[in-house]
Amino acid sequence: MNASSRQQAYDRGHTIFSPDGRLYQVEYAREAVERGSPSVGVVTSEGVVLAARKRVRSPLLEPDSVEKIHRVDDHLAVATAGHAADARQLVDAARKRCQQHRLQYGEPITVSVLASDLADHIQEQTQSGGTRPYGAAVLVGGVDPGPGPSPDPSPNPDSSPASDNRSADEIEPEPEHESVTDRTAQPALYEVDPGGTFYGWRGTAIGDGTAEIRSFLETELGGGDSSETQALTRDHGLSIALDALATTAADDRPLSPTTVTARVLGPEPESESSSGQSTPVGDDELERILDALE
Amino acid sequence: MHGTDSDGIITTGTTTVGLVGADGVVLAADSRASLGGRFVTNRTARKVVPVDDRTALTFAGSVGDAQSFVRRLRAELALYDMDHEPGASVDTAATVAADLIRRDGTPQLELVLGGVAPESTVYQIDPAGGVMDAPIAASGSGMQLAYGYLEDAYDPEQSVAELRAVAAMAVRNATERDTASGDGMTVATITADELEREQYDGIERAVSAATSQPTDSEVAR
Repeated sequence: MNASSRQQAYDRGHTIFSPDGRLYQVEYAREAVERGSPSVGVVTSEGVVLAARKRVRSPLLEPDSVEKIHRVDDHLAVATAGHAADARQLVDAARKRCQQHRLQYGEPITVSVLASDLADHIQEQTQSGGTRPYGAAVLVGGVDPGPGPSPDPSPNPDSSPASDNRSADEIEPEPEHESVTDRTAQPALYEVDPGGTFYGWRGTAIGDGTAEIRSFLETELGGGDSSETQALTRDHGLSIALDALATTAADDRPLSPTTVTARVLGPEPESESSSGQSTPVGDDELERILDALE
Repeated sequence: MHGTDSDGIITTGTTTVGLVGADGVVLAADSRASLGGRFVTNRTARKVVPVDDRTALTFAGSVGDAQSFVRRLRAELALYDMDHEPGASVDTAATVAADLIRRDGTPQLELVLGGVAPESTVYQIDPAGGVMDAPIAASGSGMQLAYGYLEDAYDPEQSVAELRAVAAMAVRNATERDTASGDGMTVATITADELEREQYDGIERAVSAATSQPTDSEVAR
């Protein structure tokens, strides 16, 4: 038995380690992600920008049917790269998880909790029999409620109307947690890979050309200093994200509103609560930013 | 619906109404929660709750059944809205609600579900999951009293501004004689533009607020 056929045996099942401790099937799954069209995420002071390149293989293809960025809750979206069919399953799992969290705890899920739950789900597919790893990676972007002031430990005994209101809220299950009093929503961005690990980022990419995009973002978003992120506006973040996508040489054709898509997760304007909202970036704005890049 | 005296379940005795108007839907309910209609356990219960952007419901029956049901209905509709454009119609919401009720095995719940998505619609949903659409619907222990008033006062041509007063009066009249209903009122007004909900501490306060609001004709002047 020669060396290559011995290696062959270790990639039969993904639950089998190779002698040097590698899981070949999981590595192949990462390879599948690298072949997918790229998605980019950038954290700004005004929210998280997600942008992605769409592979429109034919002028007859309806561009709107190519989905790269998916809303999964009011304040959360997921950008994907890799096997589109696998990615759709992950999006579905994310959506269900978001609603399950609201159902179980009466509050929206946070970005990091969703990322870690997705990572758990993905990891399970690398360790149990009869499954294969997901051939897709995801960027989870969203806004969390900010750390509110600590709850008043001594409720005022005179404020009977307030206590009445509290019991009213107990009678009616309210989804909007207005009691989370801080108005500043915190943007957050996580990457989850086919191995089931997740990392928080200030700016990153998945899919084809990730290395180039990431080094571009490292230059644009400054060194290890998070003050760059704090100074970044939504518009600037969006333009950096699209510029980063433009650095990928995978496609000769220039970016256009047909071949890119973007979404911004930001705090809900004029909202009493600290909830977030997810807004797609329109074709007009995409066109304007892409024109400005050239 | 009313709890049996022996089960100790907190119920919302209750009078709730739903009305379809020319430009939207009005839902209203009293705010009393009680033990079998004989002991008032809460005087500021909100029994009109939004479940989607332009859809809300009123509930009468067991508070526990209602809270659990509303949480699950909201989750189902949010998932539906995620991959359907536009989101759930009132018709769809009623179907999902009825399906949840049936899967639960007859919970103690009488619902009036209404909204403007896309048409102004009100549904009555019974504890066995029966769904019936109607221009006027009422539920709870005070519903006969409410229907009695509505049969006379309701006019489908009226605007939501005018129907707010009709809905408030229907609930008020029921609280006069139904001991399980009273204390205050919740009034929700749904149009294509917004879902607005007001909470009143007293029945009369609700009636005067609803009747003093300008009607469309006054605004036009």
